[in-house]
Amino acid sequence: MDSHTLGEITGFREELIKKTCSIAMEAHKSPEKPYLVEKSRTSSDVFFSFPGSWSVTHWFTRKPFGAIKIDQSELLSPKGNDKVATSIKSIGRDDLATVNEGFLRRLEMILSSSSLQSEVEKAITEKKQIVFTGHSSAGAIAILATVWFLEQYLKPEKSRLSPLCVTFGSPLVADFIFNHALRRENWSQYFLHFVMRYDIVPRILLAPLSSMEGELQQILYLLNQKEMFPIQGYIAEASKFYETVMRNASALASHAACQLMGNTNPILETVASFIELSPYRPSGTFVFCTGNGKLVVVRNADAILQLLFYSSQLCSENELETVAERSLNNHFDYQSALQESLNMQNVVNLDHLEGLQLSSNGAAAENIATNMALNDLGMSTRARLCLRAGGEHEKQKLINQKRMDMKKADIEAGLAMLEDYKIKSAVCQVGYYDAFKISKDEDDFKANVKRLELTGIWDEIIELLNRYELPEGFESRNDWVELATKYRRIVEPLDIANYYRHAKNEDTGPYMYKGRPRRYKYTQKWREHALRMPVGSSGESCFWAEVEELQLYRTTNPGTFEDIRERILNLERKLEEWIHGKQISNDVFLEGSTFTKWWRSLPLQHQSVSRIQGLMNS
Amino acid sequence: METQNSCQNNFETSEILATFLATTQLLEEAWRFCSIANTTFPGAYLVEQIGSVAYVAFSGRQMESGSDQSCRNLVSLDAEDGGRFAPLYRHSEEKESIKVHNGILKLFLSMYQSLQIQIAALMGKVKSIVITGQSIGGTTASLSALWLLCHLQSMSSPTSTVLCITFGSPLFGNEALHRSILRQRWGGNFCHVVSKHDIMPRLLFAEIVNHDSKIQSLLNFWHWCMASPHVIVTGLSSLLPDDLKDTIFHCVLKDLELLAQAEEPSESFFRPFGSYVFCCQEGAICVENAASVIKLMYLMLATGSPSCSIEDHLKYGDYVAKVSKQFLKARNFHEEGLPDSSYEAGVALALQSSELTDKEPVQDLCFPIQNSNLRKEVAIMAKNCLQMAQNDHKPNLTAANLAIKLSKIVPFRAEIEWYKACCDEADDQMGYYDSFKLKGGSRREARVNLNRHKLAGFWNSVILMLENNMLPHDFDRREKWVNASQFYKLLVEPLDIADYYRTGMRREHGHYIDHGRERRYEIFDKWWRDRRVPEEENKRSKFASLTQDSCFWARVEEAREWLDNVRSESDVTKRHLLWHKIDMFEKYGRKLIKNKEVSKDVLAKNSSFSRWMEEWKELKSQVQQFHPWFSDFVDGEVVP
Repeated sequence: MDSHTLGEITGFREELIKKTCSIAMEAHKSPEKPYLVEKSRTSSDVFFSFPGSWSVTHWFTRKPFGAIKIDQSELLSPKGNDKVATSIKSIGRDDLATVNEGFLRRLEMILSSSSLQSEVEKAITEKKQIVFTGHSSAGAIAILATVWFLEQYLKPEKSRLSPLCVTFGSPLVADFIFNHALRRENWSQYFLHFVMRYDIVPRILLAPLSSMEGELQQILYLLNQKEMFPIQGYIAEASKFYETVMRNASALASHAACQLMGNTNPILETVASFIELSPYRPSGTFVFCTGNGKLVVVRNADAILQLLFYSSQLCSENELETVAERSLNNHFDYQSALQESLNMQNVVNLDHLEGLQLSSNGAAAENIATNMALNDLGMSTRARLCLRAGGEHEKQKLINQKRMDMKKADIEAGLAMLEDYKIKSAVCQVGYYDAFKISKDEDDFKANVKRLELTGIWDEIIELLNRYELPEGFESRNDWVELATKYRRIVEPLDIANYYRHAKNEDTGPYMYKGRPRRYKYTQKWREHALRMPVGSSGESCFWAEVEELQLYRTTNPGTFEDIRERILNLERKLEEWIHGKQISNDVFLEGSTFTKWWRSLPLQHQSVSRIQGLMNS
Repeated sequence: METQNSCQNNFETSEILATFLATTQLLEEAWRFCSIANTTFPGAYLVEQIGSVAYVAFSGRQMESGSDQSCRNLVSLDAEDGGRFAPLYRHSEEKESIKVHNGILKLFLSMYQSLQIQIAALMGKVKSIVITGQSIGGTTASLSALWLLCHLQSMSSPTSTVLCITFGSPLFGNEALHRSILRQRWGGNFCHVVSKHDIMPRLLFAEIVNHDSKIQSLLNFWHWCMASPHVIVTGLSSLLPDDLKDTIFHCVLKDLELLAQAEEPSESFFRPFGSYVFCCQEGAICVENAASVIKLMYLMLATGSPSCSIEDHLKYGDYVAKVSKQFLKARNFHEEGLPDSSYEAGVALALQSSELTDKEPVQDLCFPIQNSNLRKEVAIMAKNCLQMAQNDHKPNLTAANLAIKLSKIVPFRAEIEWYKACCDEADDQMGYYDSFKLKGGSRREARVNLNRHKLAGFWNSVILMLENNMLPHDFDRREKWVNASQFYKLLVEPLDIADYYRTGMRREHGHYIDHGRERRYEIFDKWWRDRRVPEEENKRSKFASLTQDSCFWARVEEAREWLDNVRSESDVTKRHLLWHKIDMFEKYGRKLIKNKEVSKDVLAKNSSFSRWMEEWKELKSQVQQFHPWFSDFVDGEVVP
């Protein structure tokens, strides 16, 4: 294995890392200032750092874990339906990320009561490299500030230069969807988190508040004493606290490992529902410091979670008090440890986890460095198996993706066949929507079989997405977004025709609210996300569903027009747009089409002034 | 090829699962209450609440009903339980009925009334309930949990809120009970903790009729020890005569060996259900596969001695404390030759945790004879046993593959749809039910029949996989599958019915609904019922594309028979009854039609149903005109 420096592996300049560390520690000294800004004299870097907070209510705003969905705040999730949706979610499933409320509110407060935002905007106009940093709970603020920047400035391209975020001993701030979103947007690389082997702080949020209410405030108070550390009098509390956090971390890590390893025993979920498992998960790149100068760099979030637990385990029972003490002391060792490590440059890049050596001794020559570093992190055989499971999981996602990529040709062929069907049907002046709805000929039957075949492929993709078993970037891959849009435009009308042909609206309700398959909902969101379109604005493939509903309304309420006037005008406006944008083809205007017949039944007065009158008559 | 693939990256998870269970503190808490129940609540149970979880702990010291010979027999659950466990056997088509140990069932029933009141008081107050107990208290806990699960299911409440944890508790049910619990998917609600050598959970495997008094003394000894929990257990069994210990030990070991080697589960023997957590000094493993559980029980007992097999029943406090603290310390594999494959290494670690390696244990007072050959054999068998326990460990991948299979099978269904549509348009106006029934042999129908078989094969395999836990646990609630199965049922079941009556199965077995309906349809009925969609009243404007009652045609066939019989029936009472049934059917049919819940094939001019209606109308008018003795039926009203 080639040896690399920390800078080469992470892509962060080492001199920048060193600087962030001292700035992050410096910020604690002026807790009255909401943030510190420091400009580098030698480079274009601007550093923003924050002081830590040590009150339990800042860490846990509520039981059990003080977490909220990001739409509870406007910082990371804009409100209002017509706006572009936030990126901090999974696109198709539309699961919003969950973040720590206390830290998020603190950032909100800093932004609203200080000049942080204007300083940041100034740095943008000056084309500076912006770096957010923080130690301890301030690290959490730095992470959220960075995401705020990415969402507010980078995504809308108000800034070209991506920010960087370096934290030291930061607690976890958000759940796995947060990590999923960062990876999908390719933002994960901008985050670098340092964790000392025994530092308890990055692990605290793995335990529910109820399990440590007695000790937490006291421990945070001790941690606030900075360098002078009166821990000697509190060994018992520290031990108890360490044990509580580790027990919860163990439950979480072994639960996650069972899932990664594909355990199917239903008792896993039954028991999980009896306890409180933390929602927090790591994101970004983690650098574990062994404590003797070595560094281990990991990017796989599943593996990082396992490392967070296993690296803090005891080697023997009588170590408990020593380790408990170190779990607090370690929190202040970052500067010295970093200094030592950067001099030594004994850095291990932990990739290819699935091939990790399991036993702690007798490594092959090329693995010696990795093996020793893992030994220095206390990684037992069982721990290494869990790391492997993380690696396998990632590999499996890539295999799944490859399998789906291979189906692209089948999808293309199916779409081509349906495209032919569409052209053929247009010859009979009805359009393929109505031809399919009537389903009289063998061609219609064949089209139906093809539709079902394609459904199978797409449902499989959706199923994989639902289980988060495709690589994070899948939903924003251009080739798939385009293919999905093409699929949606050709095939969804057939699904709608089928739906209304079988009168499923009477069993289940209108197609749009009750019957629309996820394969169309998801893929519509893909396009809206990729092109930064307002939520719900790419609904061209559902055109027929609205036509059917409006027609049904007019049949059941004969003669009415005014009640649905707005809906009709809206549909006409959108149709005009879609026709001009070639998102819907002209066959909707054929003489025999449901749409034409319905539109002709509207009051003449409306027809004569309608914006699509020209289109209808041409 | 797929299986090979998944084997490569498999992991052995029995150990990490046990680690998870032990870390959660649920075992520790449960044991704490069991121990209190043992000392302070003999013959009863205690109820405690911690946060939003309630604990119900049954004492291990219960009145022994073993003296009564009949108590040792297995009895049919449905005959003795007063319907309390009805969901377990209601839809069963097993040859063998569910049987349980009579004494254990009696003990549960004797506590049932007070328990029912206690549990009712807890509901609403707590989110979830842990039911626990040691020894014979564990069997009562299991039955209580089973009853509670049945009860919750009948109220459509979620069943994931019940967890049963037993400690060293004997098996009490047969293979049919095991299968029924699998089928209900309740295996995940049972966690049986068994210490390595404890003979109690294995006791009922043995033919112990001849050793009644010995067993009784052993139970008394245990009860005496349980009453004083702080007694030092090791060496305590020297209070019992050696002859007693040896007899019981070897008796159980012998019978357990036979059972462990049997290929097929025997119907008349006890069968485990739920998960078993085997606790040893070195760690714990959690296994769910019933055959593996029995084998491990045998292997672990085989490496023990008569004394420790008795003392281990009293050591749950130590074992539980030990495994729940294990998370703190890094645990390495401290032997040579760790395999490199993840799976093999996982097996090696699990064997180490369960102390079934061929290496002699460092210190264990329990081994009088250290037979290294035996240990080697045990190690090899244990390895096989874990492999057996490993079913397909990629449920999501399996589900994804199943989705591909579904997409391949769906065109066959589409063809049947097409067939139905063609029949609807055909000149003979029979609808697809009658066309299929009448023209079974012709080419087109033969093809439809082939499709029908393919679809049936596919859906049966889905159910089999689900019941063997090869699919994700929420599979039967996933929209895609619920909808696909429902659509399949509505479209194809009428053809199954047609086939049933065409091939004369009616004469051989009786009517379709009670004697011919495939289990898959009942399961799909349940999936459809259980989906979490509020049932809305929708007025249909046109006939449904598929008749909403998939058994509609079977009901028509039954009604046809009644109609034939009523003409020839001479017994007045029977005739009245038939007339009434026919009348009810007509009302049912009319209601479906009024609500437009039938598809238009039902109303086709020459369909069985339309013809039946004609005949029925005719009969009614004949009756009114010519048979005064039928006059009391006018308009279907029975005038006494």
